[in-house]
Amino acid sequence: MAFTPKKQAFNAKINAVTLGTGEKSIVIGGENVLPFYTFDAEMPNKPAIAVEIRDTGLEGETAPGLLAFYEGCTSVVDMAKKAETMEGASAICLHFESADPNGANKPVEECVELAKAVADAVSMPIIVMGCKNVEKDAQLFNAVSDALQGKNILVLSSREENYKTVGASAGLAYNQKVGAESAVDINLAKQLNVLLSQLGVPAASVCMNLGSSAAGYGYEYLSSTLDRVKAAALAQNDAMLQMPIVTPISTETWTTKEAMLSEAEAPDWGSQEERGIEMEITTASACLVGGSNVVIMKHPASIATIAKFIDSLM
Amino acid sequence: MAKFITIGERIHCISPVIRKAMAERDPEPILKRAKEQLDAGATYLDVNIGPAENDGEDLMKWAVKLLQENFDNVPLALDTANMKAIEAGISVYNRSKGKPIVNSADAGDRIGYIDLAAANDAIVIALCSANGIAADNDERMMHCQNMLEHGMMLGMESDDLWFDPLFLVIKGMQDKQMEFLEAIKMFSDMGLNSTGGLSNNSNGMPKHIRPIMDSAMVAMCMMQGLTSAIVNPCDLRLMETIKSCDIIKNNNLYADSYLEI
Repeated sequence: MAFTPKKQAFNAKINAVTLGTGEKSIVIGGENVLPFYTFDAEMPNKPAIAVEIRDTGLEGETAPGLLAFYEGCTSVVDMAKKAETMEGASAICLHFESADPNGANKPVEECVELAKAVADAVSMPIIVMGCKNVEKDAQLFNAVSDALQGKNILVLSSREENYKTVGASAGLAYNQKVGAESAVDINLAKQLNVLLSQLGVPAASVCMNLGSSAAGYGYEYLSSTLDRVKAAALAQNDAMLQMPIVTPISTETWTTKEAMLSEAEAPDWGSQEERGIEMEITTASACLVGGSNVVIMKHPASIATIAKFIDSLM
Repeated sequence: MAKFITIGERIHCISPVIRKAMAERDPEPILKRAKEQLDAGATYLDVNIGPAENDGEDLMKWAVKLLQENFDNVPLALDTANMKAIEAGISVYNRSKGKPIVNSADAGDRIGYIDLAAANDAIVIALCSANGIAADNDERMMHCQNMLEHGMMLGMESDDLWFDPLFLVIKGMQDKQMEFLEAIKMFSDMGLNSTGGLSNNSNGMPKHIRPIMDSAMVAMCMMQGLTSAIVNPCDLRLMETIKSCDIIKNNNLYADSYLEI
């Protein structure tokens, strides 16, 4: 008798969430199978890659391949336009690192101006990443969501401390998409989604940022979190965990020792740039097979590799 | 593991209000009870129209359409001694939120309800009794085996037979409770689904005692592997107990607001 494999498609699915508008808009999520289990059922939307661009531009960047890619760019807007041409990219993640009050403390107005300039220049969906200071991020997301109304951006992220402000402004008043960040705490991940839904933010407007960590730096916690969330969402049909997952990769991997130590400091480790790229690829691929629907990366070589990886698994 | 499934029991023709509403085809009282139960967290709603010998088919169709149209195709358990009425109900039933449940078959005169479920791709509640309550677990399990085989011979999936060990009233059958709980464990060890009318255990007890006893009973049953019960979802203590047990069993991921969802 012929062997008939039993298909494991679930009667539950990840919410399909649209980011951006127009031709370049993307839909993430929508699948009713485990990540890349296309032999069980089709994944209607392939995972997407967003290119991280910091508001400080190329300041502090040393990777030759990255610098070469953005050669000739004189502003963050130039970089964003260039990033749209990157092989494998389908969204732009504008990272307002310098808004941090403990750092450059860039005023919200300046951030908004930059966000508007970038939004005017690009047609891909925009993800706005904050500076991790909960008060400043709440102000920043509120102002940027207002200024970019109609662009259907994703703000990354609301947290336990500021979800009310961010949910009410970005999610409700300005109809943008809201990231819910829980720093590798699975119970908090669910709780934040419950709280946002009790606030009235529609489930289809919420993405989860379950936290991130580079391979070798506590990744196993993230891995088990991703697994449990997918199991709850699909096998247990838990509506409070069916939001698609957005995972920042580059912000974690490029600050590891492997990516930071120069060849003079670590002569046995080989090319510094290659090390950084490897860290980024390793972490992104692990997150994708764990269930991330969007990974945020920055080096063109790693992005091209991961794009190929996604295509070959679809 | 899947979450515990609650079947709300409050649309029952034994209630004068519901009986009158069914006779007069008055939607309001029925919709009100349905809403109360769904708001309180019921998954399925039981629709008991009684023997309904005269207009059962028409009544069940009306009730199924009424409830599903008003509550997003809520899944239903169709409960009557009139088999034609159950079939009529299934003929207008929307399955998008779950298969219909046929309530109920037994291993005696009501074995034909399994055939009815098999012919209509429905779930069936299978009472482990024939003519009268089973004397012990040997008898319960014999009925269980017979009904399981009967259903599977008709092409049913074993998941679609929900075995009911029949809750026994504590006032009068106190010495039988632990054996009853063992039967649930036996179903569970066989990988079978199970259900039953929970509140029967507290029959005859003072009103303020019943939620306490029902909650204790459901917790012990869930420990044994009970997968569903026919309950009064408006009993807050009971629903909180079920939700908490689902957390302890890892059937549902914990969040601080778990009682609110």
